Amino acid sequence: MAELKSPDTRRCRYFFLYDGSKVRGEGDPTRDGICYFYPEETPMDKQDLLCGQLAGVGRCVSELSSSAVRILRLRRCKFAIRMKDDFFWALGCSMEVPTVSVCELLDHLIDLFCFYNGSVRQSYQLNSKETLAAEWARYLSHVLSGPSELHYILQSVRTLDLTNVDPLLLLKAALILQACQRCPLVLAGCVLFRGRVVSTQMPPQLTIKVMVHESETYAKTQRSSGRSTPTSDGGPVSATAVFLTPSELQYLQSAPVDKISSSHSAPEKDAPPKKTRLSRTLSDIPSSESTPSRPASCQSLQRASFSPHTSSSEDSVFSPAPSQGSSADSPNPSPLSPIRRFSYGGNAHEAEGGTPDSLHSGGGGVSQMPSERDGSAFEESLHLSRGAASEMTDCGNAAFRDEKTPAGEGGVCCLKPRGHKAEMRQPPSGSCSFDSLEESPLVSMALYVHRVNSLVLALLVEPCFMGDSASMEEVNHSSLASLNGLEAHLRAISPAAPGAAGPYLFAHYDSVQSTLTTNVSGRPGGASEYLFVRATSLLHSHFFDTETLQEAIIRSAGTAVYGTRSVAQETYFQQHGGSMRNSGIPNQQDSAFSLPSKARHRLLKHGVNLL
Amino acid sequence: MTARKSLLKVILLGDGGVGKSSIMNRYVTNKFDAHLFHTIGVEFLNKTLEVDGNQVTLQIWDTAGQERFRSLRTPFYRGSDCCLLTFSVDDNQSFLNLSNWKKEFIYYADVKEPENFPFVVLGNKVDVTERQVSTEEAQMWCQENGDYPYFETSAKDATNVAVAFEEAVHRALAADDKADHLIPTDTVKLHRKPRSATSCCS
Repeated sequence: MAELKSPDTRRCRYFFLYDGSKVRGEGDPTRDGICYFYPEETPMDKQDLLCGQLAGVGRCVSELSSSAVRILRLRRCKFAIRMKDDFFWALGCSMEVPTVSVCELLDHLIDLFCFYNGSVRQSYQLNSKETLAAEWARYLSHVLSGPSELHYILQSVRTLDLTNVDPLLLLKAALILQACQRCPLVLAGCVLFRGRVVSTQMPPQLTIKVMVHESETYAKTQRSSGRSTPTSDGGPVSATAVFLTPSELQYLQSAPVDKISSSHSAPEKDAPPKKTRLSRTLSDIPSSESTPSRPASCQSLQRASFSPHTSSSEDSVFSPAPSQGSSADSPNPSPLSPIRRFSYGGNAHEAEGGTPDSLHSGGGGVSQMPSERDGSAFEESLHLSRGAASEMTDCGNAAFRDEKTPAGEGGVCCLKPRGHKAEMRQPPSGSCSFDSLEESPLVSMALYVHRVNSLVLALLVEPCFMGDSASMEEVNHSSLASLNGLEAHLRAISPAAPGAAGPYLFAHYDSVQSTLTTNVSGRPGGASEYLFVRATSLLHSHFFDTETLQEAIIRSAGTAVYGTRSVAQETYFQQHGGSMRNSGIPNQQDSAFSLPSKARHRLLKHGVNLL
Repeated sequence: MTARKSLLKVILLGDGGVGKSSIMNRYVTNKFDAHLFHTIGVEFLNKTLEVDGNQVTLQIWDTAGQERFRSLRTPFYRGSDCCLLTFSVDDNQSFLNLSNWKKEFIYYADVKEPENFPFVVLGNKVDVTERQVSTEEAQMWCQENGDYPYFETSAKDATNVAVAFEEAVHRALAADDKADHLIPTDTVKLHRKPRSATSCCS
């Protein structure tokens, strides 16, 4: 893979996919099961060893604890694990990458693969290992080539620098998308400029997937033509097959209805919160049949064409929430999406409180892997002083402990299922709690891409759209002039001067839209930036692990980083310069305590409101 | 005549709602959509024509008529080869505003010789029965302001739209030819690109 940018080794040391079904008998060599291994130049013996050992340990632990293994630690490596049927994925990173991030990254990789290739099992039945290895390499390099370490820790959609763009242009982009949606075969779309989002109608996770294709074709045209020519080349329109999960599809189909909040959604709104929380039963979930506005002809056509997928439903979708087993037969709260939990604040608390902590007992004691605890050394060396807003104490509240095992406690930990986190980033109308249903097949769609120089209109369309010249023409006519204009406008915007970084560093993550605003340059070499990023990743971990934690200050002898989060955002702030007045014990004069007000004040001009 | 431009930029200006976008769409795609949203900023479409045996790409720029979009549209006036001043015959105010549009264009497009710049005036929506601007009034204005050609168009039923654009192309090409002959004496050309008939599309 000459094209592979050599990713930061901290970001990914190993990634592999192992197919256990290929290795059944005693005599079967392990290597037969290795579908893809990164780095590809790893000696075969080592590949065998890692795959064999990790897959074995993973299976053993998950069988003993009867819950999915999410993280294994081996020497100085942290492996995010996913298991599905006979497939076993592992993504190994350095210990300092937050566990949450590694797990999300692996999920993201697999989701990407499924988005472009469909079900994993079927892909391997239809294609050669080599072809699909190239696919994995492609997604891996894309995932790892983020602009900065922060983007890697807080998986985010790259957006246009909005401070620099006339909001009317964003409206223009949104109107282009709406105009396209007048064609009933168009589900949703996004407008991208130079690999960044200008406007999107899709949930962030889906936008990220779409962007992989876009940035690749962009890179390709840049390479082939040297510089992109001002007049668009022969074929500005292309299409590729993609696969949506049922919940993604449901979100896309239901979103406009919810936005209008017409009579359809009115009863739901009036319903008491209690009822909403009961929606963990199937009957409460709005069935996809009830969603309107899809031409029947197309639907039937689509059903027909999917039959190969639905027939092999066993392996067709890879469920993002790996703890289906436990969620089905125990009162484990996992089906409750965090949206609900957060939105009902105190109530949600109660809902959680009574649940027996099945994961807790499983996590700590089971099969300690030989792990040096150097990973947690860093964490321990920094004092974590919790902000006034959060009443949490280390010893109290076992109720929260059921969600996770404390970082760095054991070699193996069963992490809170990732589904929660993923769902949290989607508007509640998505109601994705049933991602975990195994029998949900992937739905085949098409990704229509119309490029005007650096501007791209990407639309998720029904597969029959591409054969429907009238619809294609309609979409083209309604969007072309506006796309041309928007491209001209955006090109005319001079890139903002990088500007002096200022006497502070900050990172602001919008967890609803998955966007990151930061003044961290991401250039290698900045020692202070590196510390900030490490502190941020640690705080991010803590925020994820401790749901009620709202503010925290993390400090060393020389500096302090302030972190705060709400349902919708996470913000990290570090003030440079100024002598740290720090006597070692909490002290009124301690300059760290002025960080929250400084952050509020400073970040206002970046459009971050912490009030 | 051999040194003709292969790309002509024609810009549509006029009050909001007079039908600039509809005129452009009618000419390029031969479609009419009664429910277009306000144009935000600028938009453009290309149409390839054959003029005197040469391929010419006509780039039609449609602009936002509303005052609030002014700062978005004005940067794109530069480099225009012809300006189509548009009003609606059922809206007298849009007719009265033509002078302002002309002024705005000359200022932002940085036109060196405004008296020689090719303007074309379009009175749109002639399909509407209640007119507020008579043909005579419009023709009078055109005569007084520099003898501009005047067309009464309807994007809805396609009246005169193509004719108006053809006239714009001819005016633009004529002005281009004239400019080629009038080499200003107070400038020195340090580098003149060798132009020949064969290199028309490079």
